[in-house]
Amino acid sequence: MSIQDELKSAIKAALPDLSCVIGWGAGPEPLRAAPLFIRGEADLQNFSAGFLSVNNPALYLPALKGSKVGVVAKGCDARSVGQLATETLIIREEVHVIGYPCEGVIDVDKVAAALAGVCEPGEVGALREDGDNVALDTPKGEVRLAKKDIAADKCGRCIFPNAENADVFVGIRRAPTVVEDAYADIAAFEARGTEELKAFWEKEMSRCIRCYACRNACPLCVCRDHCIAASREPHWIGQTDDVPDKLFFQVIHAVHLSGRCTGCGECERACPLGIPVLKLKRALSRRVENLFGYKAGIATGTPPLLTFNIEESTIKERDW
Amino acid sequence: MKIGVFICHCGSNIAGTVDCAGVARRAAAYPDVVYSTDIMYACAEPGQDAVIAAVKEHGLTGVVVASCTPRMHEPTFRKAVERAGLNRYMFEMANIREHVSWIGKDMEANTNKAAELVRMAAAKLRLNRELKPKSFPVTKRLLVIGGGVAGIQAALDAAEAGLEVIMVEKQPTIGGKMAKLDKTFPTVDCSSCILGPRMVDVAQHPNITLYAYSELEEVSGYVGNFDVKIRKKATCVDWDKCTGCGLCTEKCPSKKSYDRFNEGVGPTTAIIIPFPQAIPKKASIERDYCRMFNQGKCGVCAKVCPTGAVDYAMQDEFVDVKVGGIVAATGYDLVDWTVYGEYGAGRYPDVVTSLQYERMLSASGPTGGHIKRPSDGKEPKNVVFVQCVASRDPSVGRPYCSGFCCMYTAKQAILTKDHIPDSQSYVFYMDIRSPGKGYDEFTRRVQEEYGAKYIRGRVSMIYPKGGKLLVRGADTLMGGQVEVEADLVVLAVGGEAAAGSPALAEKLRISYDGYGFFMEGHPKLKPVETNTAGVFLAGACQGLKDIPSSVAQGSAAAAKAIGLLSRNMLDSDPQIASVSVNRCVGCRKCIEVCPFKAIQEIDMRGLPKAEVIETVCQGCGLCNATCPQGAIQLSHFTDNQILAEVEALCRF
Amino acid sequence: MSVLEGKELRVVGFLCNWCSYGGADTAGVGRFTQPTDLRIIRVPCSGRINPLFVMKALVGGADGVLVSGCHPRDCHYAEGNYYARRRLEVLKGLLPVLGIDPRRFEYTWVSASEGQRWQHVVETFTAQIHALGPAQPFAGASRPADRHRPDAAAV
Repeated sequence: MSIQDELKSAIKAALPDLSCVIGWGAGPEPLRAAPLFIRGEADLQNFSAGFLSVNNPALYLPALKGSKVGVVAKGCDARSVGQLATETLIIREEVHVIGYPCEGVIDVDKVAAALAGVCEPGEVGALREDGDNVALDTPKGEVRLAKKDIAADKCGRCIFPNAENADVFVGIRRAPTVVEDAYADIAAFEARGTEELKAFWEKEMSRCIRCYACRNACPLCVCRDHCIAASREPHWIGQTDDVPDKLFFQVIHAVHLSGRCTGCGECERACPLGIPVLKLKRALSRRVENLFGYKAGIATGTPPLLTFNIEESTIKERDW
Repeated sequence: MKIGVFICHCGSNIAGTVDCAGVARRAAAYPDVVYSTDIMYACAEPGQDAVIAAVKEHGLTGVVVASCTPRMHEPTFRKAVERAGLNRYMFEMANIREHVSWIGKDMEANTNKAAELVRMAAAKLRLNRELKPKSFPVTKRLLVIGGGVAGIQAALDAAEAGLEVIMVEKQPTIGGKMAKLDKTFPTVDCSSCILGPRMVDVAQHPNITLYAYSELEEVSGYVGNFDVKIRKKATCVDWDKCTGCGLCTEKCPSKKSYDRFNEGVGPTTAIIIPFPQAIPKKASIERDYCRMFNQGKCGVCAKVCPTGAVDYAMQDEFVDVKVGGIVAATGYDLVDWTVYGEYGAGRYPDVVTSLQYERMLSASGPTGGHIKRPSDGKEPKNVVFVQCVASRDPSVGRPYCSGFCCMYTAKQAILTKDHIPDSQSYVFYMDIRSPGKGYDEFTRRVQEEYGAKYIRGRVSMIYPKGGKLLVRGADTLMGGQVEVEADLVVLAVGGEAAAGSPALAEKLRISYDGYGFFMEGHPKLKPVETNTAGVFLAGACQGLKDIPSSVAQGSAAAAKAIGLLSRNMLDSDPQIASVSVNRCVGCRKCIEVCPFKAIQEIDMRGLPKAEVIETVCQGCGLCNATCPQGAIQLSHFTDNQILAEVEALCRF
Repeated sequence: MSVLEGKELRVVGFLCNWCSYGGADTAGVGRFTQPTDLRIIRVPCSGRINPLFVMKALVGGADGVLVSGCHPRDCHYAEGNYYARRRLEVLKGLLPVLGIDPRRFEYTWVSASEGQRWQHVVETFTAQIHALGPAQPFAGASRPADRHRPDAAAV
C-alpha cells in the first residue's frame, strides 16, 4: 500500500472521533497544493500528501482549541504541533497527529528559476512525482527536474523528516538529510559582516509591502488580531512604509519567536517578495540551541525564555 | 496636557556644573510644556510652595522636577503635587544631580545632558495616567529574626506597644554575642546582669512567641502580609517536657564536644544547656558529638531524664505564620583570623580571640572567671592585645573598621589588671578609635590608671619561645622594632556579617553589600528601613556597631515597625500590572513567569484570559516584558511610557 | 542638534530601580566622575526590559545600549534578572545578523552599593562605543532625523 493510501486509511479510521482532519488537496495551480479540511470520507478523494504539501497545517490548530481535530503532519508540522502543545496553546490530547516521513517539499521559486526560458510556473500543466524526480508538463514539453534541486532550502538541512511524537505514523522512517542543524547558512550569512548585512536588509526591506503574510503563515504567531505591529496601546512601530518600521516588524517577529521557532520556514515561503526573513529567526534559534540545548518542538518542558537556572553554565557574563 | 518643569539648583550642587536656567529655557520648547523655570531648592518648603503655586496659576496637569535622585525625593514631590490638587502620579523626576552634576564638571555637556533627561521625563509624563491606591488589611504581628541584644530590644519595644511578636533565634538560646561578654565598656558593668533580665522579659512577655534553635525557611507575601515559614530544628529534646534541670548534661558520657557558647574554651557535653541563664533554659543535643548518632548506642540522657523528654528520632518541624513586618537583627560573626600565618594561624594555643578571652574572664565561663593559659592552665603575667586583626586590612578583604575593638580591648586590659593585679598588658594598635560618650576617657584610664602599655604599630610576627610567645611588632611613634614576651596573646578580631546573611537577604528580598551587611534604605535618613517595604534592620547585621548603638537601632526598628503596624489598612502601590482583556489571547506566558503567582487564568465568555491579583502583584513588570501582544501592562512603566523615553533619545 | 555633536555619542541605559539605578546614585554621591554620554531610563526591574526596547533604541539611532540589573540572587523581585539574563543573552545573537555591531549592546549587574563599579562600567562601555564610532541609520526612512526634537532650534 502506498503512503498515500496508508494516510487515507489512517484518516478514515480517525475521522469518526474528530471534527475534521487537516491535510492537503489540489490547489489553484498544479504546482501549489492547498490546505484541505477533511470532514467526511467524501473529502478524502481530494486528499494528497507529498512533494507539494508545503503548507504547515499546524497553523490552524490554536483557533480550533477545544475541539478534537486531526492533522496530517510532515516532520516540520509535527514540530509545530509539539511546540504549540508545550506552550499549552493547544491541548495535545485534542489533536490526533497522523505523521509520515517527508521527502522534502517544493520551492516554487526554484522551479521558476529552473524553468527560466521555458515557461512561468503558472503555465505548468501538471506535475508527476517519480521517485527522486518530478516530471512537469510545460507548453514546451515535459521537463524533468531532480527533487533535491527544487526542494525548499530547509529540506536540505532537515534533521526531523519524520513527524515526531505522532499518534499514528505511516510509512518507514526516513534518515535525516543531515545529522544536526549546524546553522552553517547562518554562520556564512553572519560572516558577511555587519556593514554588508545592514545594506542587505536595507535593500530587502525596501521591497517589503507590509502585507504580514509572514506573520499570518506562522503557526506560532498566535497573537493574530492583537499583534503589536498594528496597535497603538502599546505603540511599538509606526504604520509607515519606511525601512526602519518594516525592519522593526521583522525584529519583533524574530524576538517573539526566539526559543519557539521550529524553523518550518512558512514565513519565508509566504513572503510574496521572497525576502529571506527566516534568517533572523534561525539566528536566534541557533543562539537558543547553543545556550540552552533547546530544539523547539522536539524538546519538552518550559521554553527556555520562560524559565531560568540560577547558575547558567553557558552564559559568560561580562566581567566588568 | 499642560506640563510645568522645575529645574532645581540644589544650591550649588547642581547649579555649580549645570546651567539650570539654560535647561529651563530649552525645556520650555518640549511638547506640552507650558511653564518652565529654575528654582533654588525644589525640595525645601519655598520650593514646594512654588511648584504648588505654579500648578494653580498655570493650570498645570503634570509636573517635572529635575533635581536629585527619585530614590530620594520622589515621595516628597509626589506629596507636593498632591497638595496642588493633582494625582501624585502626574509627576516625573529627572535625576540631574547624582547622574549629572556630581559625576562630571563639563558645564556644556552637563547642561545638555540635563536638558535631555528633562526631555525624557516630560515625554514619559505625557503618557502618565492618574493612579489610585487600593487599601488592604494589615497583619498586626512582627517577626524579629535574631535574638541578640538588638533583636531583644526590638521585640520588647514592639511587644510593649501591643504588637504580637514572633522571635526566631538560630542558636538554642537568645542573648547573642552580648550574652558571651563578661563586662561591657565603658561602665564595666556585668553584661549578663543587664542583659539577663531582658532575656527573661522576652520569655515571659505575653505578646512574644520565641522560636529558639529555629531558622527562617521561606518568606513570601508583601508588606503588611508576609507569609513566613519557620524551621524548628530538631533539638532531640522535647522542650515541652524539659525542665532545664541539667541532669542529662551531667551524665552525658560524650565530654569532648565543641562548646559553641564558650567559643571552644574547654570542651562540653553532647547534650547541653548553653549557659546557666539561657533562655529558653532547655537542653538540646549536638548530633555531631552524640554517641547515639555516631555510634548508634548510648541513650544515657534518655535514661536519666526525669521527664522523658529526650527523643532521638525528632525531626525538623515547620511553622507557618503570617506577619505584617519583619525586623532582621542577625548580628555578626568574628572573622576567621587563622588566615594570618604571622599570628600562628591557630597553631599556638595561647593565642586566643577576644571573645574567647571574654569567656575566660566570665565567672560563669569554663574557667570560672580565672584567666588561664590554654596550654598549661597557668596564670599569665604579660598579656599582649593585638588590635585590628581582620579589621582595616584590605589584604584579607576586610578594609573596614569594626568599630568596637578599640573599646573592648581597653576594657579587657582593665579586667586583666583587676583579675591579676601584678600583670602587665600591652596593646598594639593602629589608631585608638573612641568617639562615644565616655569612651575616650575610658581609653585614657586604661593607660593612666591601669598602666596598660599602648604601642602604636602592627604586629608582624608571633612565635613561641621557651613556653612563651614572642610578639614582634613596629612602634611607629618611637620608630623601631619592639619585642614583647607574652604569656598570652589576645587578638582583637574584627567582625563580619553573620554566616548566612546573603542567603537571608535573598529570602527577604533586601540588598546586601559586598561584605554581606544588609543595605539600609538610605545611609542617613533611613538607617533602619530597607528598600523592601515592611523589612527593617537592627544591630550589627546592617554594619558593625557596639551595644548602645545596637540597642538604639533595635528601638528604632521597633518604632518603624510599630508605626507601620499601627495602621489597620495599608495603601497598595498602584504601580502594578493590569490586563487588557481584549488583547489577551490567554497564552499563559505571564502566568508562567510571574515570581509572585500574582496572575491567574480566568474564563471570560468561554475564552481564557489572564487576570492580575492586585494585592499580590509587586510591580516588577516581568509579565509586561513577556506578553507578546503587550496585553498586560505595568502601570506607570507601560511599554508606551518607556518607548516615549527611548524615542526622546532617538536620533533617527 | 545637540551642541555636543561629535563629542558625545548616544548611549542609552536601562537600569533597574533597586540595584543599578541605586548604584549609579551611589557613584554620584561618591563623585565618581563618568563620561556624559549615558542617558538612563529607570525601570523597576531588569525583568521589565523587553529585548525589543534594546532593539528600538538601536534601530532608532542609539550608538550603544547598556542594561544593568541586580546581581543574580539579589533581584528585588527574586527572579526578574534571571529572565533578563537569558533574554538579553539570546538577543545578542540577533544583532550581527541584522547588521548591528553586537558590541553596541551589553548587559551587566551592578548593586546599589557598587558606585565605583558603576563608574567602571560606564567608563568601559562608553569607551567601547567611542571606539566603534557613531551608528549609521538604516536607510529608507522618510521621516527627518531629529523629528523628536522640537527644541533643537531653541538651543
